[in-house]
Amino acid sequence: MSRVLRSELLKLRTTRTALGFAAAGVLLVLLFVLLGTLVGNPMSIADKRAILSIGDPLAVVVLLFGVVGATAEYRHHTVAAGALIVPSRLRLSIGRMFAYGLAGLGVGAIMLVVAFAIGLPLLAGKSGPSLTGSDYLRAVGGSLLACGLGAMLGVAVGVLVANQVAAVVGTLVFLFVADPLIVAASANFGKFLFGSALMAVGGRGNGMHRLAFGPAVAVILAWTAAALVIAGWVDSRRDIA
Amino acid sequence: MPGDTSAIRVVGLSKRYGGVAAVDDLSFEVRAGAVTGFLGPNGAGKTTTLRILLGLARPTAGEAMIFGQPFAALTDPGRTVGASLEISGFHPGRSGRNHLRSLAVLAGLPASRVEDVLKLVEMTKAGNRRAGKYSMGMRQRLALAATLLGDPKVLVLDEPANGLDPQGIRWLRDFLRAMAADGRTVLISSHVLSEVAQTVDDVIVIHHGRLVDEGPVDRLSGPQRVSVRSPRVADLAAVITRAGAQVKRDQSDVLLVSGLDAAQVGDLAFSAGLPLHELATQTASLEEVFLELTTDEPGAPA
Repeated sequence: MSRVLRSELLKLRTTRTALGFAAAGVLLVLLFVLLGTLVGNPMSIADKRAILSIGDPLAVVVLLFGVVGATAEYRHHTVAAGALIVPSRLRLSIGRMFAYGLAGLGVGAIMLVVAFAIGLPLLAGKSGPSLTGSDYLRAVGGSLLACGLGAMLGVAVGVLVANQVAAVVGTLVFLFVADPLIVAASANFGKFLFGSALMAVGGRGNGMHRLAFGPAVAVILAWTAAALVIAGWVDSRRDIA
Repeated sequence: MPGDTSAIRVVGLSKRYGGVAAVDDLSFEVRAGAVTGFLGPNGAGKTTTLRILLGLARPTAGEAMIFGQPFAALTDPGRTVGASLEISGFHPGRSGRNHLRSLAVLAGLPASRVEDVLKLVEMTKAGNRRAGKYSMGMRQRLALAATLLGDPKVLVLDEPANGLDPQGIRWLRDFLRAMAADGRTVLISSHVLSEVAQTVDDVIVIHHGRLVDEGPVDRLSGPQRVSVRSPRVADLAAVITRAGAQVKRDQSDVLLVSGLDAAQVGDLAFSAGLPLHELATQTASLEEVFLELTTDEPGAPA
C-alpha cells in the first residue's frame, strides 16, 4: 500500500491540478473570512468561531478536487498504466483515496493559516466575548477533518462515476440542489446526507438541522466507506478502455 | 506447441459487447523468446484480446494466461510483463520523467531505472517536458519506456508503430530486434504487416475476432510459382500441362506455373525444343497473403 500511496502523492505533486484547487481555496477562504467579519459583524462566540471554521466552504473544493483527480485517471487512461503494475484496482483506489485525504489535510492546513492570519486581527476588533482555546481547537480540527474526509469522499465518487464531467456536475447538483431540497423536505433525514454532514464537520455550528461533530464525522466516514465499497465493486467489473 | 515453451496462451477467448462479438472463441499461443506479430485489420479484436490478456477487461468466455497464470495472479506483474496499450496513457500536464517516476515508485523500482529507460528510448533531454507537448513519436517512445521500467520478460505492444514517421518505424524495428536479442518474448499487434514483417518470428492473424492463421512468418509467405516467358507460349503450356502442373496465362507470352519448380520447367522446355526468354520463381508477398486472409469476400458479413 505504501508504494501506491507514494506513487499517488508523487502524481499529485507533479501536475498543476492541486495548485489550481489550492488557489481556488485561498480565494474562497479570503472571501469567506472577509465577508464574514466585515459584512456579517460577528458578535457571539458561535459567529466568531464560524468565521474561522473554513472546513465548510473548503470541503466542497476538496471534494471536487478528489472527484477531478480520480476521474482524470480514466480521462487520460492512466488508470491502465497503474493497473498493469498493481492489478488490484481496489488497492489502487484505496491508495489514491488516502493520498487525496492527506492532500486535503495539507490544503486545509494552509487555508487555516490564511484564515487565522486574516481573521484573528479582524475579530480582535469586534465586540462581544472572545474565543477560547477549545473554540480554536474545534475550528482547526473540524476544518482539517472536513478537508481530509471531503477529498477522500471525492475520490470514491470519482472512481464510482469515472466520467469526469458527469461526476463533477453530478456532485455539484447533489450538493447545491438535491441536498438542500432533501433537507428542506425532511431535516431529520437530510442531516445524514454527506453535504450536510460535511458542513457539520466543517464547524458551521450545531443548529437544529445539523449533526453534532462526532456523529457528523461518523456519517462522513460511513459515506466514504460505502462509496468506496460500491466504487470498488463497480470498478473491478468495469473494462478499462 | 508444448506448453512449457509458451509465454502466452489464449484458450477459447470470447468477448461480446451486446450482440457484437469483438473476440470469438480465439485460441493461440506465443512462444517464449520469440517476437510474434498479432495481426489483423482495424476492428479485428486485437486490442480487446490484449486488454483481456492484461486483466483490463473481463472475457465473456475463455481464458488468457501469461506463464500459465492470469495476469492478475502474477506475483510481480510489473517486472514480468511490460505493456503499452494506449498512446495517451499519461497525464498531459505531467512530464514524461515524472510519469515514469510515478510508475517506478508504484513498482518499487529505483529512480535510476527511470533514467535508464529514458536513455534507452533516447528521451533523456525531453524527459522534463510535459507529455502533452510531445509529438506522436515521442509519446510512443515514452510508452515504450514505461513498458521497460520493470525489465520485464514479456512485452505486449499494441500498434506501437501508429503515427510514427519512417525514421520512427526504423527505430522501432531496431528496438524490437534488440529486445528479441535479449531473449524477451514480444507480442506486437499491428494492422499493417509491412511494419512488423521484418521483425517477427511468428504471426497470429485474426479477423472478425477469430483466428485465421498462425505460425512462423516464413510459412505465411505463400506457395511458390514459376513465371516463364516464351515466344511459343501455347506449345509450352501444353507440355507443362501434360507433365501434370497447373498453368495460368499471365500475359500474351508469359505463363504462371504451379506444381513444378523453375528447374523442372526449364528441363521440360529444353526437352521439347522450346525457346525460353525468361524463367523466374515468384513468391506471393506477405502483404498479399495477409490481405487474402483478412479481406472479406463481396457479400460476406462484416
